[in-house]
Amino acid sequence: MSNISSIIPLFTAIPLGGAFVISLIGRKARWISDLLAILTALVICVLSLLSVRIYNMYGVLTYSVGGWIPPVGIGMVLDGLTTFMLVVVNLVAFCVVIYSINYMERFTSKWKFYTLFFLMVAGMNGVIISGDIFNFFVFLEIASVASYALVAFGTEKHELEAAFKYAVMGTIGSLFILLGIALLYGYTSTLNMADMANVLAQKNTTNLTLMVSVMFLMGFGLKAAIVPFHGWLPDAHPSAPAPISAMLSGVLIKSLGIYAICRIFFNVIGISQPISSILMFLGALSMVVGGLLALGQWDLKRLLAYSSISQIGYIVLAIGLATPLGILAGLFHLFNHSIFKSLLFLNSGSVEYITGTRDLKKMGGLSQNAPFTSTINLIGSMSIAGIPPFSGFWSKLFIIVAVVQAGRFGYAFWAILVSILTLAMYLKVTKYAFSGSLKESLKHIKKVPVFMKLSMAILAVITLIGGLLLVPGVDELFLKPAADTMLQGVRYSTGILTGLK
Amino acid sequence: MLNLSTYFFKIDQLSIFVGIFIVFFSILTIIYSFGFMRRQKGLFSYYLYVVLTLVASLGAVFSNNLILFIVFWGFLGLLLYLLIGYGKKETTNSTAKKAFIIIGGTDAIMLLGIAFVWHITGLLQMDKMSIPLSTRPATLAYLCLAAGAFAKAGAMPFHTWVPDTAEDAPTPVVAFLPASLDKLLGIYFLARISLDIFQLNPSMNIFLMAIGSFTIMAAVMMALVQHDLKRLLGYHAVSQVGYMVLGIGTANPIGIAGGLFHMLNNTIYKSCLFFGAGAVEKETGTTDLGRLGGLAKIMPITFVTFLLASLAISGVPPFNGFASKWLIYQGIIETAKAGGHLWVIWLIAAMFGSALTLASFMKLVHAVFLGQPSRNIKVNEERIVGSSMFAPMITLASLCVIFGVFAYQIPLKVFIFPSIRIWPRLSGVWNAGAATILILAGIVIGSIIYLFSTAVKTRRTESFVGGEDVKSHPDMRVSGTEFYNTIQEIGLLRVIYKLAKKKVFDLYDVGEKISSGFIKVLRYIHNGVLPTYLGWCLLGTIILFWILLR
Repeated sequence: MSNISSIIPLFTAIPLGGAFVISLIGRKARWISDLLAILTALVICVLSLLSVRIYNMYGVLTYSVGGWIPPVGIGMVLDGLTTFMLVVVNLVAFCVVIYSINYMERFTSKWKFYTLFFLMVAGMNGVIISGDIFNFFVFLEIASVASYALVAFGTEKHELEAAFKYAVMGTIGSLFILLGIALLYGYTSTLNMADMANVLAQKNTTNLTLMVSVMFLMGFGLKAAIVPFHGWLPDAHPSAPAPISAMLSGVLIKSLGIYAICRIFFNVIGISQPISSILMFLGALSMVVGGLLALGQWDLKRLLAYSSISQIGYIVLAIGLATPLGILAGLFHLFNHSIFKSLLFLNSGSVEYITGTRDLKKMGGLSQNAPFTSTINLIGSMSIAGIPPFSGFWSKLFIIVAVVQAGRFGYAFWAILVSILTLAMYLKVTKYAFSGSLKESLKHIKKVPVFMKLSMAILAVITLIGGLLLVPGVDELFLKPAADTMLQGVRYSTGILTGLK
Repeated sequence: MLNLSTYFFKIDQLSIFVGIFIVFFSILTIIYSFGFMRRQKGLFSYYLYVVLTLVASLGAVFSNNLILFIVFWGFLGLLLYLLIGYGKKETTNSTAKKAFIIIGGTDAIMLLGIAFVWHITGLLQMDKMSIPLSTRPATLAYLCLAAGAFAKAGAMPFHTWVPDTAEDAPTPVVAFLPASLDKLLGIYFLARISLDIFQLNPSMNIFLMAIGSFTIMAAVMMALVQHDLKRLLGYHAVSQVGYMVLGIGTANPIGIAGGLFHMLNNTIYKSCLFFGAGAVEKETGTTDLGRLGGLAKIMPITFVTFLLASLAISGVPPFNGFASKWLIYQGIIETAKAGGHLWVIWLIAAMFGSALTLASFMKLVHAVFLGQPSRNIKVNEERIVGSSMFAPMITLASLCVIFGVFAYQIPLKVFIFPSIRIWPRLSGVWNAGAATILILAGIVIGSIIYLFSTAVKTRRTESFVGGEDVKSHPDMRVSGTEFYNTIQEIGLLRVIYKLAKKKVFDLYDVGEKISSGFIKVLRYIHNGVLPTYLGWCLLGTIILFWILLR
């Protein structure tokens, strides 16, 4: 038992180690850093898939860092929600690394990119496995700081500006989170999340917990880019290099934002009716605002970034329902969105790679001489627009069914309306970039390199067959445990505490 | 396993009937495409999409599970989008996008309907449901599902993709999807929800009949003033859906049988008309009515099949269009027994619509096939319209006659009445065989009188042209395009036509305008300035504090 649980810290140790080694010897030659990056990403990806199997065999696992017993020492936890998020993060990270081999050739000092990248991955994995709220914050900051640097990686004017905005807003969000943690620490005298949940459950709801809730809503809401805390995202996501855009939109806003909201509000503080209503309202607001703004965009990556806000809204709406079906639907949409949004961002990168522009008005007819890119675009677009049989359809279906089941008919109409907007915005991309007659300036364009194609092909296959995760029997392995963890609410802490002691 | 298969699939008379014709029209389309799409790029994927459409349509028709149904149904929208993309015009992109947004959008609305159905009954199996429309969620569920059926079939207010698609998509695709398969599927699903899944109440029936009547009249009025061959046919494709909705809305066996029979007949003659239009397009390179004319001598087979189908769609006896319209009229009169006087309106709309259809096709046949040929088109001398294009046209034209003359012996007896499981007692007297003989006798007697009188009285002279040389003015001819332009000048109609030209009645354009208004406002407040964004964060936090801690 204890032997197996020692894989938990590997999820941060391996990427951290990878980042360290790459920065040491990666500068010698490009192929060394490529090889090391691939190896590191592959190992954590396999480990995360393995953790699904381990969780299904052994149940909740815990690990005490340095052998110190919590609540004094630092605890790490592997439960249903953790394995789910680990798979999402590391799967996407692996595909992104494959893509970067070719794509990042245009930048100097690729090894710096890989170092920052794995620092970010280590931060995200740390947030996910941490059972201790202060360590949770530390990892969150590691991932955030690495992402500020990665947004500015191109060091052009607009990239620096975007990174500056992102850094200022992100820091303010972190500040609110830290303040909330400090207040909770003062109130409960513990930093271990399971212990904290126990203590909070014994006390009544006071104004202090409500105040902390607001701070967390603001802080994590900012990390997740929920309207009205989304101002940084439409600048930061398009400015970063395409693989980083894919990581930011695909997994960063989910692991730092949505996962944190799930963990803190469901398992530590405990979801209450007002919080649930606020989450639903903010979700619906994000859906509409993000959807409309995306529809009006002509910059391909900015369109995708606004669409991320809209899709995050769907996830928050579904999770905010706090019904079993709602949580399942929200988590499933989280998984699907991380896959197809990464796919779309990577594809926007290849469009930029072959045409040299992100402006939809300057493109046209790409389906004639870039059939692969065009097909990938169609798959990603149809999936996010919820057209069967792609995976996005299934999560959209579940979200709508869950919302109707909860009796929230008004939100169901919003969800339908925004799904029509989503279809419209992606058909706009297809219309202006891929169909029609070929522009004269695009007659002779570069070919998409093989590793970029490979990475997109993997993601495309996952989004094609993603609906299978819902098949009875398969859902028991992956989706249900994650949803059950959230549904247990604050009672979940007892299992962890007995494990840790 | 047996249990699982009935959970997902069900085969009954209605689905078999629709399924047979789905296969039939797919085969005809593929044969026609061999001729029409020859020497084009990307043919492999074209035929792949056609076959996938066939499979998905059959899947949708035989599904017994609402989720499985919507999977097939939604996938068809994507295939439609891809198939329209094979068009060659500049506006094809916009049309494909518009069609897919309307179809995909209503599919999303259907998802909501399915969620409501599941919320009410806890079931997804179609044959186990019978929901009375007594509660608000039930009514909403019915309307959501009906919206999908309307959009697919092209009934108002979701019709606007049909005329655009008819104009811009390749002709075999138009004949395949909007004209035949989408009609079959849309009306099939409307019949399924109206007859099996829900128990309609009288007010919903009146709503359906009102939609049907309005669709008939509005679309045929639009068709009258069109000057593109395929677009004109597209408006008729919308108008004819009105009859089917009207028939199903009557809620009595005769009317429903009429609606389903009209669905079948419409797919036959409408595909035939589009196939004919495709042949004209292939031969002359244009579908602009002003530039066509006098093709009857050059394309006799196309002319005859087109004429037969035109007579059928106009409801001229003894063709099939008349037989089904006759049933629908009877169905409407039958509703009078329930009281109320609204049936008079429905009957007038149906009959007047039929008359206007005839008027519109007189214009069309004249403009394309009769009159003098226009000089500024080149007829392709190679006669590239081959037998693979003629065969489907001839098959369908002969079906128009057979299903009309032997309406009771073949289609109604074999397909329609078994699928609604009722053998209605017909109130009127209609003997197709006797009527045909009477009509033929009338034609013979009429021509004898005509020949006799012309032989005696007519005097032929040169026509007076006022000294002009006619040959130097090639366009001094009556093309037929302008036949009904004067109706655009009459009183209230003038206003309506003007608004229609501005696309005020097009849900797609209205939606586009509304959303672009909101986008302008949102873009104005997203000015990219950091303090603004921080201000929102602050404002949001304050509001959250106020809500939770007040």
